[in-house]
Amino acid sequence: MIKILAVIYGIIGILPIFVSDSSIMMRILTMILIWSVVASCWDLIMGYAGIFSFGQVAFYVIGAYSSAILSVSLNVPPVVAVLMAGIITAIIGVLVGLPCLKLAGPYIALVTFAFQLALEPFLKGPLGKAIGSGGSRGIISVPPIEIFGISFSSSNLVPFFYLTLIMTLVCSVIIVVILKSHWGTAFLALKDSEDFAASLGVSAFKYKLLVFGVTSFITGLFGALYVHYVGILSTRMLSMEVFTVLLIMIVVGGIGQYPGVVLGAVVTVTMNELLRPMGIYRLLIMGGMVVIIVLLLPDGVTGLFKKLSFFRSAGKREQVQ
Amino acid sequence: MLIEILDVIISGLLNGSVYALMAIGLALVYGVTKAFNFAYGSFYTMGGYFAWVFLVPLNLPGGYYTVFLTAIPFLFVVGFFLEKLLVAPLRKRSDWQMKAMMLTLGLSLFLDIGYIAMFGPRLKSLPDIVEGTLDIGPLVFMKQDLVIFILSISGLLCFAWILNNTRVGMAVQAVAQNPIGAQIVGIPKDRVFAATFAISTIMVGIGGILLSQKNFVNPQASTGIMIKAWVITAFGGMGSIKGSLYAALIIGMLEAFVGYYLGMIHIDIAVLTLLLITLAFRPQGLMGRE
Repeated sequence: MIKILAVIYGIIGILPIFVSDSSIMMRILTMILIWSVVASCWDLIMGYAGIFSFGQVAFYVIGAYSSAILSVSLNVPPVVAVLMAGIITAIIGVLVGLPCLKLAGPYIALVTFAFQLALEPFLKGPLGKAIGSGGSRGIISVPPIEIFGISFSSSNLVPFFYLTLIMTLVCSVIIVVILKSHWGTAFLALKDSEDFAASLGVSAFKYKLLVFGVTSFITGLFGALYVHYVGILSTRMLSMEVFTVLLIMIVVGGIGQYPGVVLGAVVTVTMNELLRPMGIYRLLIMGGMVVIIVLLLPDGVTGLFKKLSFFRSAGKREQVQ
Repeated sequence: MLIEILDVIISGLLNGSVYALMAIGLALVYGVTKAFNFAYGSFYTMGGYFAWVFLVPLNLPGGYYTVFLTAIPFLFVVGFFLEKLLVAPLRKRSDWQMKAMMLTLGLSLFLDIGYIAMFGPRLKSLPDIVEGTLDIGPLVFMKQDLVIFILSISGLLCFAWILNNTRVGMAVQAVAQNPIGAQIVGIPKDRVFAATFAISTIMVGIGGILLSQKNFVNPQASTGIMIKAWVITAFGGMGSIKGSLYAALIIGMLEAFVGYYLGMIHIDIAVLTLLLITLAFRPQGLMGRE
C-alpha cells in the first residue's frame, strides 16, 4: 500500500521539473493531488467504514466557503483560515454524522445527499448571504495563502503545487495510519459481521463518527486550499458534475481498494481535461463511463490488476509443477 | 385570506397526490429489489419529454390519450430492460447495493445530460390536459388540477388493486417478503425484480407527464424529484405503502405552505429539516416497521 502510494506521488512530484513551463499541465497535476485526497477520504468512509455517505462534495464546499468567508469578511490570514475551515468542517461533519450514522445504509445515503442538495439554496438564500456567502454571485477575490512572504496562488503554480503535495503526503499518511491501526481492523470486523463485532465490544457508532470527523477535517482542509488557489467561489461547486467526477474516481480506482482511488483520481482528472473540448458530451461520456465501469470492472482498475497478477501467479505455479 | 389558504391547500394536495404516485413506486422497487435507484428522477423527466415529443413537435391525434396509451408500454420496456441489463448483473456480488447506487447515479447523469443534448437546455411547456375552470361559489378550480388529482389517485388505486388481486401482484409481494422462499415455490424471482422495476418506472413516468404540465419539462428537475421521492419514502417508512401516501400528502402540503409564505428557495431546506427530525425520533419513519 505504502509502496504504491510512494510511487504514484513520487512520479507526480517529479513531473513539474519537466512540465513547469506548461501551466495547463501544472493545473492538472495540482487538481490530481487535491482530488486524490478528497476521493481517498470518500473511499475511507464508503469502502472501509461502510458508511454510504454521499456528502463528500458538500464537506469540500463547506471547507471552501468557511475559509473564503473567514479570510474575506473577517480578514483572517489565509493560513489560519484554512486550518479553521478544516475544524469547522469537522464539527459540521460530526453534527451531520450524529443523527445520521445510527440509521441504516440507504437512509445515510439519502440524508447526506439531501444535505448536499439543501446546501445550495442555503448558500444562495438570505441565510447564506447573512454569513457572507455572497448569494448566487459567490465570493470573488479570495486572497492567496502566504507563508514567509511567498504567495501560493494560481499565478504562481509551482510553489502551490509543492505546498499541495506536502499536504497530500501528510493526509495520505494519516489515512494509511488509520487503515493500518486498530481502526482499520475494527472496520474490517464491522463489515464482516456488525453483530459479532459489537458483541466483542467494538462500538460501530464511535468508530464511524471518528472516521467521519477525521475525513471531514481533511476534506474541508483541501476545499479551503482549493479556494485560495483559484481565488473565486460559487455554488457551482455543488453541481452534479463535480459529484460525478468524484464518483468516477472511486469507481475507476475501486471501492475499498485504497491506493486504487489515487490512481482513479489521476485517470479521471486527466480524462476530464482531455474531454473538455467536447462540451456537453463530456458529461454524457462521464455518466456512461460510470455505468460501464461498474458493470464490467466492479473493483475498478485495482480489481483488474489483482486478476492479472492472480493469473500470472497461477501460470507460474503450473510451470513449477 | 381564506381563499389564499385554500389555494395553497389545493396546490399542496395536487402535488402530494402526484408525489404519492411516485413515492409509492419507489417504495415498491426498494421493498422488492432492495436496489437504491438514483436514476428514478430521470424517468420522471423522461415521461415529461415523452409527452412533449408526442404533443408538441409530432402533434399526434388523440392528445393525452395517445400519450398515456403509448407511454405505459414504453416506460415498462425501458424499466424492464434497464433492470435486466444494468442492475441484475450486479446482484451476484456481496456489495451490490453500493454498486447499484453508483451505477444508477451514473445512469441518471447520462440520461439528464442526454436530454439536454437531444432537446436543448430550455424548459419545455406541455399543453394543459383540460382547459377551463370550474366555479363553485367563490372558489375557482382549474379543471386541469382536478384531472391531475383524479388521475394520480386512480393510478394509485389501480396499483393497489394490481398488487393485492392479481397473480403478478401477489408474486411481487411474495418476493418482497422472502426472495428465496418465493423462488422455492416457483416464482421467477428475476423476472419479478425486472417487472417491479418496470412498474415503478411507469409510476414515476406518469407522475412526470402529470406534473410537468404545471412545472414545465425541466432536464434538471431529476435530482430534486428523486430526492423528494426518497424523502417521502423514508419519512413514511421504507416499504410501507400507506405511510408513503400520508407522507406524500404531508410533504406536498409543507412544500405548498413554505413555498407560498417563505419563498421557493426554502422548500428543500424545510423538507430536509422535517426528514432529519423525523429520522432522529423515529428512524423507521412514520409507519415503518422496525
